[in-house]
Amino acid sequence: MTRRPRLDLRDQPLVGGQPLAFGIGLAIALFVGTLLLLGAGHDPLKVYSRMFEASLGDPDAWAVTLNRAVPLGLAGLAVAVAGSMGLWNIGAEGQIMAGAIGASWVARIGGEWPGLILITVMLIAALGGGGLLALGPAVAKAKLGVNEIITTLMLNEVAIRLVQWLIHGPWKDPDAYNFPLAPMLPEQAHLPTLFSRAHCGILIAAGVIVISSVAVKYTAWGYELRIAGSSEATARYSGISLPQKILTVLVLSGGIAGLAGGVELTGTADRLTETLSNGFGFAGIIVAALALMRPSGVAVVAVLFGAVQIGGQSIQTLGVSSSVSTILQAFVLFGAIGAGVLSRYRILFEGEAQPAPEAVDK
Amino acid sequence: MSEASLIGLFVATVSFGALLYLAALGELLAEKAGILNLGVEGMMAIGAVTAFIAGVELKNPWAALAIAMASGAALASVHGFFTVALGAEQVVSGLSLTILGLGLAAYLGKDYVGQPPGAELVPVQWSGLSDLPWVGPIIFKQAPIVYFALLMGIAVSLVLANTRLGLALRAAGESASSTDSAGHSVLGLRLGAVAAGGALAGASGAYLTLSITPQWAEGLTAGRGWIAVALVIFGAWRPGRVGWGALLFGGTLALKTRLQTFGVDFSPIILSMLPYILTLLILLVISVRSRKRPSPAPAGLGFAYRREER
Repeated sequence: MTRRPRLDLRDQPLVGGQPLAFGIGLAIALFVGTLLLLGAGHDPLKVYSRMFEASLGDPDAWAVTLNRAVPLGLAGLAVAVAGSMGLWNIGAEGQIMAGAIGASWVARIGGEWPGLILITVMLIAALGGGGLLALGPAVAKAKLGVNEIITTLMLNEVAIRLVQWLIHGPWKDPDAYNFPLAPMLPEQAHLPTLFSRAHCGILIAAGVIVISSVAVKYTAWGYELRIAGSSEATARYSGISLPQKILTVLVLSGGIAGLAGGVELTGTADRLTETLSNGFGFAGIIVAALALMRPSGVAVVAVLFGAVQIGGQSIQTLGVSSSVSTILQAFVLFGAIGAGVLSRYRILFEGEAQPAPEAVDK
Repeated sequence: MSEASLIGLFVATVSFGALLYLAALGELLAEKAGILNLGVEGMMAIGAVTAFIAGVELKNPWAALAIAMASGAALASVHGFFTVALGAEQVVSGLSLTILGLGLAAYLGKDYVGQPPGAELVPVQWSGLSDLPWVGPIIFKQAPIVYFALLMGIAVSLVLANTRLGLALRAAGESASSTDSAGHSVLGLRLGAVAAGGALAGASGAYLTLSITPQWAEGLTAGRGWIAVALVIFGAWRPGRVGWGALLFGGTLALKTRLQTFGVDFSPIILSMLPYILTLLILLVISVRSRKRPSPAPAGLGFAYRREER
């Protein structure tokens, strides 16, 4: 009889399993990437060193990578905050757009305001826009138990079309020669730069991530959240109001994603465009999953993932198709997903005895 | 508006409806077995590009369709491996599959962008029927894949409702542990359903490049995979209702490009939101009603199954 493999839950997750998972994912991606590059007649070493230089090679490269890590980190945080209660916010992509709509609206009416006030109000509006888009799914989940995965997913498509409608219609720039473009943002609506091309968004993102990590990890609110996420019954017995928790967490999650849209708009964009969200919302889900839904882990993963994306873009100048970098990203993901499972499980073969519990040094 | 343009609208409605129906049927199969696959968009893209390449190289539309279905099934099996065999998060794996599929499709198709098609699925002529007024062009003069979609709908519905295999598959989606206890392989059923679903998504993509467009360009699938995901819910996980929903959503796709010719002053962008908004409304109705009767969603949808943890 053939012995079939099966997965067996480890008593303790492998120490350092998740960083290892990301590393294995990266290694698999590099291997597959090498094959793809050789197949297309490129020199893999040259391509990889270019990727590294362009993303982490010098301060200028770091600046671009950090700018990319900002929307990735905030979107990842949005997903992780919902995820720490066991909820899936798949709608960050749309909430980013809703946040950008809110911020653009403020920029339209506050064109004469001083920069600091204008940017502050824009970011608050972005928070509100994202929260507003998440409000419907939040209420539906809290009051009726409607699956939030599907509602947030559907609203992505609605929000992106809302932006298209705005820039093709009511918000079309009359001076853009009839092109469907929103007007440029006022000059003072751009976030100040920190160093090289890095803008202050990294400080905002870092601040929000630290506050959220502390809130989820160390406050009573966060404790209740995690209890509600691990067991509904326990939460109910200890008097935690689940509907209220669901409502606040999902709206907060949407708000954080909206903030990502606002920061992206004031940080790197000149105007509201239909490509502003640029897949950050979906990437955020992956960032959060790689960070095991821990807000504190999101920052590290976002910078690494940002480097992979920026490095991937840079190799287009070597004549390498951008699809290679997309495929590389996908392989990082699948490699990390698989390695993540294996850090929590071990492979046993049928008929094989379960090994003695691992020694736990604590 | 003229009679011809109205007929044109209905022809396009049926053709877009079949396109969405194929992909939605595939998603329905996977979800019925308990696996949510958010990679539809990627599987459609792979189906579209492999069908086009095979068409150019082999000059045979049927071989192209078969290759597209096999490619869709192969890509879906990546999701199957991670979610069914390893028990990874279905949402994360599905989204990664979308990224992988879109990237692979762009990589494979980069030398074929803008090329003329090597093979096409041309509309069928049914002697006598195709010349009937109205129903002739609308129903009896479509590309063969439209009838294939209808056949698949009937087949999926019969298999799910009337066969032991269908019963076992639905059971795997409702309660994996009792299906396992009854001696069925949950692993096999779920892997099979995900792969078959990928084949149908691949066929849907092939329809784009072998008949509707018929060319290859990056981003050709244009979010239609997400409409297919919505359709499964809109049709409450029933193959028949999903079919009617596909016609309705196909109608919005067909109408979108024709609003101006009909002289209707309504934004085509707002119209294209309709499928998603309708799906949201249906979700609300389902959940309000499910206080009295059970939800139509498979009870085990989204949950990994590991025998040791039941």
